[in-house]
Amino acid sequence: MTVEVGGSNGRRTAGPAREAAAVAPVGRVLGTEENTPLLFHVALLEGSYLQLDDVVVTIRAVPGVGPVMTAGIVTQVRARHEGASFGSDVFLIADGVLPAQVQEIAEITTTRVEPEVYVPPLPGEQVRRATGDERATALYFDMMDKRIPVGIGRDGNPIYVNLEFLDGTRGAHVSISGISGVATKTSFALFLLHSIFRCGVLGRAAVNTKALVFSVKGEDLLFLDHANSRLDEDKRAAYGRLDLPAEPFRSVGFFAPPLPDDISGQPNVASRKTGVAAFWWTIQEFCAGELLPYVFADAEDDRNQYTIVVHQVALRLRTDAVPAGADGAVSIDGQLVRTYSELVDLIVDRLTDEETRRDWAGPVTGAGTVNAFVRRLRSSLRSLRSLIRADLADSPRRKVSTADQQVTVVDLHNLPERAQRFVVGVVLAAETRRKEEAGPGSLLFTMIDELNKYAPREGASPIKEVLLDIAERGRSLGIILIGAQQTASEVERRIIANSSIKVVGRLDSAEAGRPEYGFLPPGQRARATLAKPGTMFVSQPEIPVPLAVEFPFPAWATRHSETAGPPPETAGPPSGSVPGQPGKPAPGTIPRNPFDLLPNPSDEVPPF
Amino acid sequence: MTEAPPRPGPATPAVPAPLAAPAVPAGRMKFSVDAWDPGYGTSLGEEELVESSAPVVLDVEVPESAWAPRDPAPGTAPPGAVLFVDGVRRVEARAWIHDSVPAGEQATSALPALCASYASGVVCCCEAGAHLAVAAVNRGTFTAAEHAGDVRTTAGDYPVRRTRATDPVGLSLALQRALGELEVESAAAARARLGDHTTGAGHHAGTDLLVVDGPLRGRQHLPRTLGFVKTHQSAYLPPRQHAMVGTLGPGQRTPVFLMGSSWDRHSWYLRLPGGPGAPWAGVVRVECGADMSAAEAIALADQSQVTLRRFASTEFKDARAPQNLYPIAGLERALRRRMGDPQLLYRALRRAAVA
Repeated sequence: MTVEVGGSNGRRTAGPAREAAAVAPVGRVLGTEENTPLLFHVALLEGSYLQLDDVVVTIRAVPGVGPVMTAGIVTQVRARHEGASFGSDVFLIADGVLPAQVQEIAEITTTRVEPEVYVPPLPGEQVRRATGDERATALYFDMMDKRIPVGIGRDGNPIYVNLEFLDGTRGAHVSISGISGVATKTSFALFLLHSIFRCGVLGRAAVNTKALVFSVKGEDLLFLDHANSRLDEDKRAAYGRLDLPAEPFRSVGFFAPPLPDDISGQPNVASRKTGVAAFWWTIQEFCAGELLPYVFADAEDDRNQYTIVVHQVALRLRTDAVPAGADGAVSIDGQLVRTYSELVDLIVDRLTDEETRRDWAGPVTGAGTVNAFVRRLRSSLRSLRSLIRADLADSPRRKVSTADQQVTVVDLHNLPERAQRFVVGVVLAAETRRKEEAGPGSLLFTMIDELNKYAPREGASPIKEVLLDIAERGRSLGIILIGAQQTASEVERRIIANSSIKVVGRLDSAEAGRPEYGFLPPGQRARATLAKPGTMFVSQPEIPVPLAVEFPFPAWATRHSETAGPPPETAGPPSGSVPGQPGKPAPGTIPRNPFDLLPNPSDEVPPF
Repeated sequence: MTEAPPRPGPATPAVPAPLAAPAVPAGRMKFSVDAWDPGYGTSLGEEELVESSAPVVLDVEVPESAWAPRDPAPGTAPPGAVLFVDGVRRVEARAWIHDSVPAGEQATSALPALCASYASGVVCCCEAGAHLAVAAVNRGTFTAAEHAGDVRTTAGDYPVRRTRATDPVGLSLALQRALGELEVESAAAARARLGDHTTGAGHHAGTDLLVVDGPLRGRQHLPRTLGFVKTHQSAYLPPRQHAMVGTLGPGQRTPVFLMGSSWDRHSWYLRLPGGPGAPWAGVVRVECGADMSAAEAIALADQSQVTLRRFASTEFKDARAPQNLYPIAGLERALRRRMGDPQLLYRALRRAAVA
């Protein structure tokens, strides 16, 4: 019998054709291989096909129970000649000399048994594609009160994750892994944020839901509020299928470090002229907030004796510094400190002076330890002097805060690594404190790329402490971590373990073999090594098999050349409230170079 | 048709009797190893070829004096479709039908019966590829017992087929006859279905060639049909012509000759392509009916030359290469599979017997 499934391209056929195909069986449960309640095989009818990730369902009658539905996902498909025993027989068969039959067999990993009677599907039972309610049941979408679309499944229908595993109700945190450049980790994380904000399940809470994004690679994220000029009708339609607006982010604040050696406090960005605020910390904030430990944020710092000096000096700065002037300068023992280098000089003076060393370094600290501290402190000068200063006119917009806009982008790509750590550590600690004081009730999604840099598997550092705190306590605080990394195997185990949603893009084959990816079945593990940009495997606690999704092309510009111009009402600096009206994307011209229409992987530019 | 192999065969002489022993140069003996698996014996049968007393007419194609290996006539085209007919049989159980006695008494004697499965099918090799055109599986209880009824089991029914013979050989022959009838039915059904082909719709009808595995006996009436004999039991040709068979090159054949024994048919020897071997390695005898003109028989012989060589098997793939043709080997596998698992059938028969 011949069953025509899908269109000429094999999938994404909407309308009656798909409905009709859905009813017809695609094959029968196989009898020559063992079937278990959790894994079974299907021999496909001639003229039918199943591809990886298709959702199928089979029903058997169980005495005394009634019909039991077993639903699952195709995790492997095999085709072979039956009736042939030698490899070369294929030529005889092709020449019409030897009779043989081609048989395709699909391996199905069970996702759901309803009712929960774990019996194997019986050989010979009919198997059909699951559509509509059956598909929703198979993938547990029927049990999700609040669900967030994360992309389009292989069958052309939306795939959801349960908000309860994102907002802290039953779980929190997202871990995204994949090779730089092709895994599109950042694009997926941004799409996830877009989906959370705009899918409507948050209701009125959406207004108070915030996102904090640290951008470490180029200025790609500085155009989140601009429409993407490469978004054509096809790509727009993908958003339509997910019931999401194909629009850029509506309320975004951008922060960038100030230009070095510039006394006007201009942000250090090249591609965007307006709407970006420069951020820095005043000497007074540095002293009062005890920010000194974040200067020593390398993992190896923890193993050294001088950490005791760090805390002693931080304490002295807090108690001895007296505010001086309007721009955040301090006076310590009558000495005015306006820049970071002045502060460093002062600390070094106090530590090398026999008189004051006891007070500043602790009573029993040896000279070697003090010298180690001084060496490290001096080496921080180059990285941090543009960020810790009181020589610029203070401005209310210099403080990195998520209070005034929905999405806060902190651009770090121009900063040396040590300064990046400092910014991430200080901002996260401040936001955690703010959330602690505000109490639960609203959500803050924190997106950090290269998590392995901030929370490496080995060692300890102040930033790692903050991140671990978020991972373990953030669920109750309402801080949700969206961590991206090339290699989950290099990130602190407890952070990965606390992530309810695990997402994998294209993986290096050596990396795919590590135990951190044990949630991927072998077939998907192999497939992750050839996943295309835009394809992700999403694992969530309720569904035993990760689902392959394709997420839509960004509706926001990911580089200057893509921007179709700022939306009219958010062209200015970050405004004080979330705008209520969606921004209308400007039409823009669509380039016809076919390469421009490919999913854009360049949000993560090598070298990695 | 075949029987399953392993039978330890008696030692077979390397050279059939009617052939003169080759001159062996002193100090160096030349020999070759038969391509057939020892379990099947050799293509020359288990015993010496007996010189047949069947009358043979040699000058059907060429005068007796002009006998020489023949290549196919130039321009001979292979048929559009080749149909290979074969059957397999398997005795599932040997049974005893107890004499009927009044209830409560025990029978004192019983008659033997064979519960057997037999299947026949046709592989069609045409533009659409080689495919199973027809496959039929029958079962039966072969016995001479008058009061025997059908044997019904959970794994198939064995309708009774009355025979006259009571000895095992006679029962086996009855099974063979039933299989032969089924083969004829299959062949006819396959020919009838040729017109249904999706490719080359129906244009093969009338140009197809039917190849029966084994002698043509009982099937001579089928048109455009060849019998394909792998094993040689008798030497039908006079010594000079017989010796010529050993000199045939791959793809060559002897001239057509007419044989009459209990039934008449045209026949010729044909060597299939294969590695070098014994003088008779790869030689098959092909038959066609006697009720056609000599020209028709010669045309068929030429066609067999261009057709059959394509289907010859190679040693490492078939235990009876090259004579066991690929389509027939595939057909036999497919038919055996359709007959079912012998252990399961045997168990079902045992259970039915005590039920």
